[in-house]
Amino acid sequence: MSGAASGARVPEHTILVKGAWPSASDSGTPLPEDGRWAGGSYQNDYFGLTLRFSARWQAGLEGPPPSDSGAYTLAQIVPAERFRAGKAGHLLITAQDIFFTATRANSPLELVNFTSEHLDRSVYRVEEAPRQTLLGQRPFVRFGYQSAVAAMHWTILATEIRCHIIEFVFVSTRPQSMADLLQSMDSITLPAAAPEHDGTDGAAQPLCIRDYASAEHLLERVEPVLTEPHLNSIPVRIIIDAQGEIRHIHLLRAFADQARAITDALRQWRFKPYVMDGRPVEVETGIVFGLRARAPASSGS
Amino acid sequence: MTKLRIVLYVAWLIVPGSLLAQTDPGVRGGAINGQAGATATGPLPLASVSGGQPQGVLQFFENGLARFQEVETVGNSANVGLGPRFNMNQCSACHAQPAVGGSGAATNPQFAAIANGIVDGSTNSMPSFITAHGPTREARFPFFTNSSGTPITSSPNGGVETIFTVSGLAGAAGCTLAQPAFALAIANNNIIYRIPTPVFGAGLVENLDDSTLLANQAAQAGNTFGIAGTFNHSGNDGTIARFGWKAQNKSLLMFAGEAYNVEMGITNELFPNERPLPGEDLAAGLAAGCLNLAGVGYPEDATNFEVTPSSNQATQNAQVPGDIVMFAEFMRLSMPPLPATSSGPGGASAFTAGQSLFKTIGCAACHTPTINSTQASAVTASLSKAAVNAFSDFEIHDMGTGLADNVAQGSAGGNQFRTAPLWGAGQRIFFLHDGRTTNLLTAIRAHASSGSEANDVIENFNELTAAQQQDILDFLRSL
Ligand code: HEC
Ligand code: HEC
Repeated sequence: MSGAASGARVPEHTILVKGAWPSASDSGTPLPEDGRWAGGSYQNDYFGLTLRFSARWQAGLEGPPPSDSGAYTLAQIVPAERFRAGKAGHLLITAQDIFFTATRANSPLELVNFTSEHLDRSVYRVEEAPRQTLLGQRPFVRFGYQSAVAAMHWTILATEIRCHIIEFVFVSTRPQSMADLLQSMDSITLPAAAPEHDGTDGAAQPLCIRDYASAEHLLERVEPVLTEPHLNSIPVRIIIDAQGEIRHIHLLRAFADQARAITDALRQWRFKPYVMDGRPVEVETGIVFGLRARAPASSGS
Repeated sequence: MTKLRIVLYVAWLIVPGSLLAQTDPGVRGGAINGQAGATATGPLPLASVSGGQPQGVLQFFENGLARFQEVETVGNSANVGLGPRFNMNQCSACHAQPAVGGSGAATNPQFAAIANGIVDGSTNSMPSFITAHGPTREARFPFFTNSSGTPITSSPNGGVETIFTVSGLAGAAGCTLAQPAFALAIANNNIIYRIPTPVFGAGLVENLDDSTLLANQAAQAGNTFGIAGTFNHSGNDGTIARFGWKAQNKSLLMFAGEAYNVEMGITNELFPNERPLPGEDLAAGLAAGCLNLAGVGYPEDATNFEVTPSSNQATQNAQVPGDIVMFAEFMRLSMPPLPATSSGPGGASAFTAGQSLFKTIGCAACHTPTINSTQASAVTASLSKAAVNAFSDFEIHDMGTGLADNVAQGSAGGNQFRTAPLWGAGQRIFFLHDGRTTNLLTAIRAHASSGSEANDVIENFNELTAAQQQDILDFLRSL
C-alpha cells in the first residue's frame, strides 16, 4: 500500500492496494525482476543479460510480479506496430528459480522435460524433442512443438543463469518469422557460461544452493513473528556473505507486515561460512515462510 | 462493363471483410443452461437429486429454490428483516440470467426499485451506475476518505457500500439514513463494481478437496505462457477458498449468510448483527431507530422450531432450517450448465476447433476445462467423484492494471482475481467482475494490460486469424 494521501482523484490504472508483493532489504542489489528497456534493448543486471533487437521489434506489455513459486516474466517482445499486420510472432522471456519451483526442476533439461511431459498431446505435436545444444559457447536446451489447429509453432531455448532457468519462448504462426525471431538471439549478450552452481557464473556471482538454510549450516536462527494470518506462502531469496551473514533479502511475495517481520528476523541469522577451494564464498538460497510450500510435483527427469 | 466490375470489386472488399471480422454471437438461445426442461424460474437440480437420492433431497432443493426467490420486506409481509441498508430485496433479483441462480439480467431490477416501491424515492435516489439495461451491481469504495470526501490512498476500505436504505418505507419510520456519497466517489474515481457470479454447479466446486486443486496447479507449473497463480485461503481454517470474484469465500453456507446480511440486510445465524457501512462502523454504528425494524428480534433469519405439519415428511423437514441453509442447499444441489456441443453458434465444428484453440493458445492454463474429481459426497450421488467442467483453476491471478480494482480480500490483492469459471458463459449477458462489457471479445482483450499474467496468451489470441478467433467466441457461447 503506497504511502501519502493522494490528490482528490484516485489515479486510474494504478495498483495501489497490493497483496503479497515483491520487496528487498536494499535497493542497491539487482533483483531478477528489475530488467529495464532502453534504446531498443533489454538489460537485466541480476542475470547480466543484454538483448538488443532490430527496429522490427519492441517491448510488449510488462509481466506480473514474481510468483510465489519463483516464476518471473522478464520481458515480452512483440513486432513493432507497423509490422503487426504480418503476424510476425513474438517472444516471451521467463525465469524460473531453482529454489521455489513447483516443478522441482534443478536444470534446464529437467524443466523442459517437465513441460514436455505435461504438454497436452490432444492439441500439440512435438516437433523437436528436448535436446542439449550450444549457442555461442553456452549450453542450451532446445524444444519445439506445434499446434495444427492454430498453425502455431513454439520453440523454447532454455539455459541456466545464476540460480534460475531462463527460457526464451518463441511463438509464431509462420516458420519464416520464427527464423527471424531466432536470429534475434544473435544479439543477446549473456554472462559467460560456467559449470553448474560453482559460484562463479558471470562476474563473481554467489554460489546457488537449494535448501541451504538448514540446521547443519546455521549457527543462529530467529523465527519471524508473523502476527496477521495472511495464509500465503512467502518465498524469500537471500544472499549470505562470506562471513555467514545475510547481506541481501529479496521477498518475492510478502505482505508489508510480513516483509518487516521476516527481514528483522533474518538480520539476526548467522551461517557457518561456506568454504570452497579453501576460501569462504557467498551463497544464494531460498527459504519459504508462512504457509508451507505445497508438496512438490515429481520432477521432469 | 468496366465500371460494373469496379463496383463489384469494391463491394467484395467491404462485405466479406466485415463478415470475416470476428464477433461475439451473443447470448445463445435454446435450452436454458443447455438443459432440456429447465425454465427461467425452474433451473434443474443434479441428476441424483431429481432421482430422489437420498430420499427427501429433492424437497430440499425445491424449498431452497423457492426461498431464493422470496421477496423480503422491512416488516409487513411473510418475509421480513430487509435493511436497514440493502442492495436488493431478493436473491433471484440479482441472480437471474438465464435462470434463477444465474448472473444479472438484461433489465436491471435495481433500476426499477423506486418505481416498484422497494425503495422510497423521496429518501433514496438512483445512483448513475445503476441503469435500466446495464449490469446489476454492488459497489465498493477502495479507499476511506477524509472529512471533505477526498480518498486517502494509504487507507484501504474495500467494503460493500450498500446502495439503498429503508428510510421512508412502511415500518421504517424512525430510521433516517443517507445513501453513500456515490456521486462524489465517482468524481474521485473511488468506486468499483461487482456483478453477480452464477451459482449453478456450485456444489461440485465446494466438494473439490484442496489436494485436487493443488494437483491441478502443479500440473500447470511448467507452462510456457508465463502463468503462475496462487490460492486464496479461508481465514477460519486455512483451506483454499473458492467463491466470489477473488475466491474470497470458503463455502456456500458462508456466502449465503454473508449475502443475506450484506446484499439484503437480513441478519442470520452466521452474521447475526445488522451491517452498517464500513465508514459507519468506524464511528457509532447504526442508530437505534434503524435496529429491529421487523420487530422479530435477532437474528431475523433463524432455524424454524415450529413448522407447518405436512403429510410429506421431507417437505416438512425442509421447512425447519433457516433461509441461509436452504439457499445453500439450492445452490449446492443445482446442476451445472451443460455445453451445447453441436447446437451452439458455429455448430459442432466450431465447438471442436474453438475448444482446441482455447487450449492451444493458453486460455486453459488458467481456465482449466475439467478438474477431476470431487470427493465422495455425503449429500447426493451426483456430487461424488464427479468431474468439474467449470473452466477454472480456482486460483487467483495477477490481472494487470487494466482489471485491478484496488480491493483486497483475504490474501488477494487489488490486482488479483479468481479465474472466472466459464461454464454457462454462453447465456451470460455481462462479463468481467464489474460487468463492463457484454462482448466476449472485449472481455478477452481486457485480460491484457501491464502486469497481467495473461499477456502472452492474449498475444497468442491476437496472432490467430479472424476465423480462428470466431471459433473461440462460438465455443465460449456454446458453454
Ligand atoms: C444486489 C444483488 C445481489 C443479491 C440480492 C444477491 N447477490 Fe449473490 N452475488 C452478487 C454479487 C455482486 C456477487 C459477486 C460478489 C463478489 O465476489 O464480489 C454475488 C456472488 C454470490 C455467490 C458466489 C458464487 C460464486 O461461485 O462465486 C453466491 C453463492 C451468492 N452470491 C449467493 C447469494 C444468495 C444466497 C443471495 C440471497 C441471500 C444473494 N446471493 C443475493 C449480487 C447479489
Ligand atoms: C492468467 C489467467 C487467465 C488466462 C490466461 C485467461 N483468463 Fe480469462 N479470466 C481470468 C480471470 C482472472 C478472469 C476474471 C477477470 C475479471 O473479472 O476481472 C477471467 C475472465 C474471463 C472471461 C469473463 C468471464 C466472466 O465471468 O465475466 C472470459 C470470457 C474469459 N476469461 C475468457 C478467456 C479466454 C478466451 C482466454 C484465452 C484467450 C482467457 N480467458 C485467458 C483469467 C485468465
